[in-house]
Amino acid sequence: MSTDSNNSAIADAIAAPVKRRDFLKAVGVGGAAAAAVGCYSDQVEKLIPYVASPDETVPGVSTYYASTCRECAAGCGIIVETRDGRAIKIEGNPAHPVNRGALCGRGQAALQGLYNPDRFRSPMKRQGGQLVATTWDDAISTLSARLAEAKKNGSAKDAVFINQHEQGSFPAFLDQWLAGFGMPGHIAYDAEAPLSAIAANKQVYGTSWPGYDFNAARLIVSFGADYLDGWGLAVPQQLAFADARAKIDGAPRVVYIGARRSLTGINSDTWIPARPGTLQQLAEAIAAAVTGRGNADLKGAAERSGVDAAAVEALVAEIKSAKPSLLMAGGQGPDATAAAVAVNELNKALGNVGQTVKPAEGSLAFDGLASHAALRDAAERMAAGRVPIAFVRGADPAHAAPGAMKFADAFAKVPFKVSFSTYPDDTTQLCDLVLPDHHSLESWGDAEPVKGTLSLQQPTMDPVFSTRATADVLIAVAKADPALSAKFPANYRAAVAARVGGNAGLTAALPTAIAHGSSLPAPSQKAAAPKGGDAAGQGDYFLQVYQSPVLGDGRGANKPWLQELPDPVTKIAWQTVVELHPETARKLSVEQGDHVTVTTAAGSLTAPAYLYIGIRPDTVAVATGRGHTEFGRYARGCGSNAMGLLGVAEDMRSGQAVLAGTRAAIAKASGHSKIVTTEGSARQHDRGIAQAITIDQFRAGETGEHPHVFAGQASTEFLPGLRSPVANDAQGDLGDPNSAKKGQYDPNHWSGVAKRRWAMVVDLARCTGCSACVTACYAENNIPTVGAPWQGPRLWPSDTGHGANILRGREMAWLRLERYFEIDREPKDVEFNPAFDTRVIPMMCQHCGNAPCEPVCPVYATYHSPDGLNVQVYNRCVGTRYCSNGCPYKVRYFNWFGYGEPNRSQYAFPEPLNWQLNPDVTVRGKGVMEKCTFCLQRIREAENRAKLEGREVKPDEFTVACAQACPSKAITFGDAADEQWAVARMVDDKRAYHVFEELNTYTAVVYLRKVNHPAAAGSAAEAR
Amino acid sequence: MATLAQPGPDTGPMRPNIAKAGLQLPAVKDYAQVDREIMGTLHPTRGWFILLMVSVACLGVGALSWIYQIHEGLGVAGYAPPVMWGVYIVTFVFWIGIGHAGTLISAILYLFRAGFRTTIYRCAEAMTVFAVMTAGLFPIIHLGRPWKFFWLLPYPNWRLLWPNFKSPLVWDVFAILTYLTISVTFLFVGLLPDLATLRDAEKNPFRKRILGALSFGWRNSENEWRHFARAYLFLAAFSTPLVLSVHSIVSFDFAMALVPGWHTTIFAPYFVAGAIFSGMGMVYTIIIPIRKFFKLEHYVTLNVMDAGAKLTLFTSMVVGCAYMVEYFIAWYGGVPAEQDYFMNRVFGQWWWAAWIMLTCNVILPLSLFSQKLRRNPTWLWILSLFINLGMWYERFVIVVPGLSHEFEPWQWTGYVPTFIDMGILIGSFGWFFMWFLLFIKQLPVIAISEVKEIVPPRLKEAASHGGGH
Repeated sequence: MSTDSNNSAIADAIAAPVKRRDFLKAVGVGGAAAAAVGCYSDQVEKLIPYVASPDETVPGVSTYYASTCRECAAGCGIIVETRDGRAIKIEGNPAHPVNRGALCGRGQAALQGLYNPDRFRSPMKRQGGQLVATTWDDAISTLSARLAEAKKNGSAKDAVFINQHEQGSFPAFLDQWLAGFGMPGHIAYDAEAPLSAIAANKQVYGTSWPGYDFNAARLIVSFGADYLDGWGLAVPQQLAFADARAKIDGAPRVVYIGARRSLTGINSDTWIPARPGTLQQLAEAIAAAVTGRGNADLKGAAERSGVDAAAVEALVAEIKSAKPSLLMAGGQGPDATAAAVAVNELNKALGNVGQTVKPAEGSLAFDGLASHAALRDAAERMAAGRVPIAFVRGADPAHAAPGAMKFADAFAKVPFKVSFSTYPDDTTQLCDLVLPDHHSLESWGDAEPVKGTLSLQQPTMDPVFSTRATADVLIAVAKADPALSAKFPANYRAAVAARVGGNAGLTAALPTAIAHGSSLPAPSQKAAAPKGGDAAGQGDYFLQVYQSPVLGDGRGANKPWLQELPDPVTKIAWQTVVELHPETARKLSVEQGDHVTVTTAAGSLTAPAYLYIGIRPDTVAVATGRGHTEFGRYARGCGSNAMGLLGVAEDMRSGQAVLAGTRAAIAKASGHSKIVTTEGSARQHDRGIAQAITIDQFRAGETGEHPHVFAGQASTEFLPGLRSPVANDAQGDLGDPNSAKKGQYDPNHWSGVAKRRWAMVVDLARCTGCSACVTACYAENNIPTVGAPWQGPRLWPSDTGHGANILRGREMAWLRLERYFEIDREPKDVEFNPAFDTRVIPMMCQHCGNAPCEPVCPVYATYHSPDGLNVQVYNRCVGTRYCSNGCPYKVRYFNWFGYGEPNRSQYAFPEPLNWQLNPDVTVRGKGVMEKCTFCLQRIREAENRAKLEGREVKPDEFTVACAQACPSKAITFGDAADEQWAVARMVDDKRAYHVFEELNTYTAVVYLRKVNHPAAAGSAAEAR
Repeated sequence: MATLAQPGPDTGPMRPNIAKAGLQLPAVKDYAQVDREIMGTLHPTRGWFILLMVSVACLGVGALSWIYQIHEGLGVAGYAPPVMWGVYIVTFVFWIGIGHAGTLISAILYLFRAGFRTTIYRCAEAMTVFAVMTAGLFPIIHLGRPWKFFWLLPYPNWRLLWPNFKSPLVWDVFAILTYLTISVTFLFVGLLPDLATLRDAEKNPFRKRILGALSFGWRNSENEWRHFARAYLFLAAFSTPLVLSVHSIVSFDFAMALVPGWHTTIFAPYFVAGAIFSGMGMVYTIIIPIRKFFKLEHYVTLNVMDAGAKLTLFTSMVVGCAYMVEYFIAWYGGVPAEQDYFMNRVFGQWWWAAWIMLTCNVILPLSLFSQKLRRNPTWLWILSLFINLGMWYERFVIVVPGLSHEFEPWQWTGYVPTFIDMGILIGSFGWFFMWFLLFIKQLPVIAISEVKEIVPPRLKEAASHGGGH
């Protein structure tokens, strides 16, 4: 599909008040008038085929486009599924070297960026203080005139262009354009970038981001490097981590050092809770102790870091013995770069470089990244009135930069501000001219995530709104200048094609969107002197602001899937909280939900307290990502912006903003808010839901926990594996090998139940709890988000604001990630103890063979299919909700409101978000029950395809949405009745168990126990 | 009657009527007095109009709430998944339970020849009908798609779709419809002679015709009386098992589900005892004001109240015993989820609800061991309100804490009803009392014909004693 700027006439038409559907309706009226006679519906809807059908497009059959994800810097390959000209699902590209088919939740939520109802629908121009719609001709001529004037009077040299950092050729192309108008190079800003690690990597390894081989390591030590939370390259790191841990015997032990147990922290075997801002001392002392060079004052360093000296000594011993190991340092304190340098040097000294750290196989994702100092420098110039023109594209520094920088105030002083952002974000709302960019799914581009490999980005559909690719706008502006006209190609597609050998090369490369080649090298960024500053400040507590693994620096906040996705650690959605240790809370007489005010030298923030047992008692943490003043209906006014607490202090070695270690005072404020969480109880209460064994038990052949007083009958009275989908009373004498009575298990039984049982295996040794599967499920199954403030009851609601429905437990996630802490009392009563185990478990409909939900339904709306599925018939459901009562797993979800009805305030898919809806899945009506279907539509699609091709479904031919997306490859789906499917082999794993086996529900979902590697076991392994 | 405070006057040889054995109404002298006094209650009064208006207003609140709920979706009620059942199911079981005392009094006590039922059974039977009519609304109100409620009925259709006969909710449909049918029939058959009496006294020709039709042209013949007595006895026998079966089936709604605290075998007898207990509470709530404002104290005597109070005390103790057995089995059974649930119910999250229930249903009724209090209508009325409250909370304590604290700790939750829940609850009282109030001004609240059977035969000639009052 090609999308050129001449499409904009059509796009203009789309943006006009007459919507495409209305237009088609009008076209259809003539013919429909006759057809409508005798019909009740007053809405005439006609299905109109394409007048000229695009090649290879069959109505109702998906077309897939390979492209590149632009939601973060990593540059994962994606496959975009489109149906009748609309993108409906994004999945990872299995052929892509970075993400091997997996994709995180943020990447999948790009669709809600594409279809965001708050995107600019046309260019905007400020008139009388307001942004009003204008035409592209007017917008471009306005910009051209301004630029010509600036070029002429020489003020162009002081212009500032802030671009969201991205890989590929565009940054160089942009600088070329800027230079043409006499403007300096752009600032490639990324508030999420791990600048300190990048600086240290460059210094020690000579590359901005080496390849990390988790699989080769025997020990992984993270010095505040949140490699599962979005630090670095989220998906490839998680893939590698899960692969390494899935080895079980020989898997690396994982140690996490940091003030707060992040997602990475809770996936570690040992947590050493170092005080924020002390990583450098600790890292240097450990390095010295390991190498025997320098001052190895472990005790002193441990004391200053506030950690147990014995734990540090044990770690030193372990690093010495476990080879090779993988040491990574992140952290966002003022000493982060120094700590990272020390850690990287230690990797070098230990000989890990080349074994677990591979500079030659590095990623180019972070090349050409500006430091935070460069942005501050620009802001200072703006504040001083020395910037005549400012441009911003993608980045939202008014929200994502530290509050003390007062970026918005500075930016407002620029006489002419242009935004290329496609969303009305906080920065764009200040601009005078908005030239909205295409979404990455609508435009051309390239990325070079791995040296020598180009990952192409192609439009997957016609633009949703009257937007234009920024590159094409730049070309149009350049063409208006006779001096520049010749230097630029006709359009940006041609520029992309030039990277792969012209149109022919492009056509050849597009099916996988992967090509040999390289993008234009990223232009080097102008260095800016970092500014230190006293991070210490006042207050008894340390503040740690951390990147939200779900929303990032805030760019995810306008996507309801991400707002609704509970944070993998805190399980909080739609809300900003202040994380306190329960010990601290008791000291302050604060209970969960009480408002607390965090005050730093830079500012203060009042938010409800959340008691988290995985944080140092002298530290408070706040996540980034919320608290927008603009950015559309879903982001505006939701939560508070943690960046407002931060001063302008930067790490002197890398220019990274200091997010951790700032001194803060905490005071109890008036007010109380319920915490918008999906968590009921944080503990398992010995119910054995998420089970684990230690590596020693595993080696000894033990099965691990026996949480149940009563054993279930599944292991004794059912067929081995998962082959029997119904209760034993239908099995005849199957248990008796000499009997011929096989009941329904007779292969010739009319029901056919012996032939197939769809089943799932979830390997908890792999699962990190990242929740990408949850977003995949939302996308695949048209699950409504329900947390927006207007989605609750309208008349006298008892809960109001963001997450009102979630406060009543009405979230619709068919698949949820439960996170349990292994502690012996409620979290609020816990004393600080870094040694606690955290279990995560994806919980979805278990498709019980003996399902308690089925017999209780009075109308057969839920019943058992012969291929082992527990099926829910929405049209038959009357909404007694009895099935939910029967379900021990509590995985059934009810439509409390008309989330699928456009004329209701609770509507979850305001136009054009509804363009994303999967046409293969019903949008459920008000008053019916729904639940995980094991992606029934995918099963039937595969079966139908096989039938059309005259064959049986091939083993592992297809999989379900959650399994497909999982960046840990923890979920396996298939037919347990057929030995050739992977799932049939995996159910025989000795770690396998059913949740609540004692209830004899005989589930089709089998979990494999998590394997913990406690310290002693790890060293025992080394001793072996 | 063992607790007769004063021996009744020697009324001489009584007509052999063992069904009325033991009941003595010394202040009721003759048939004319019975007709005059009981039919005298049928004239509308200002107080009655005010009460009717209040009831209709409450019903209006409920109706508006329901309309709003149907329009918006069930989300306007307080459901907090996995608490998928709430006030509506609680109130459904509450009203169904209320009905049971009526059938017990009119049918079982009839078969047991308990004379004290005679003057209260009509009231109780009417209460049954209206309570079942009220209860029957709630399974529909509680549906996500109430306009599809008929899918629960086994009606022939070309898609050959039938309800799932394994589901207790389908059993419920049959149980409620059977119960409603039998109760209405039983009430109506019992009314036949009284309708004839009303017809005879009626001046308005139009009403006279209606009453005549309703009484099936009752002519007071021997044959009619013989058939009537047989029919009544037969219906009483027919209703008797329903007292046990209907609420057993309602209890299966819970006992058949795999919810800790629900999945237990004691539920059927426990629910039946609770139903009778709650029904006795409601009978007192209704009969005591009627007795007072209709000046019928000499019909519904203190002896009657006393006897009923003993039944109340007995059922209270059965219910209390059931509670104890529940707790004991939870402990003895050794299922952790079950034990957790009961700890949470009595000492945890729901302690307040559990103790409202225990106080109202077990502790306060112990006062009925005192004869003084059993014969004190004021105390009985106050106690009856507590029993109503306590029995509503009994169902609340079963439904809500069970669902809020199941196997999966991640899904443990709370529950707070909204004003819609409360509006519909109030509406259900409005609906019930509207029917009841309409009933008491149209038809006699005390069975005229049965009372006449008690009036001593030698007093039948009113003139020979100088009239009644």
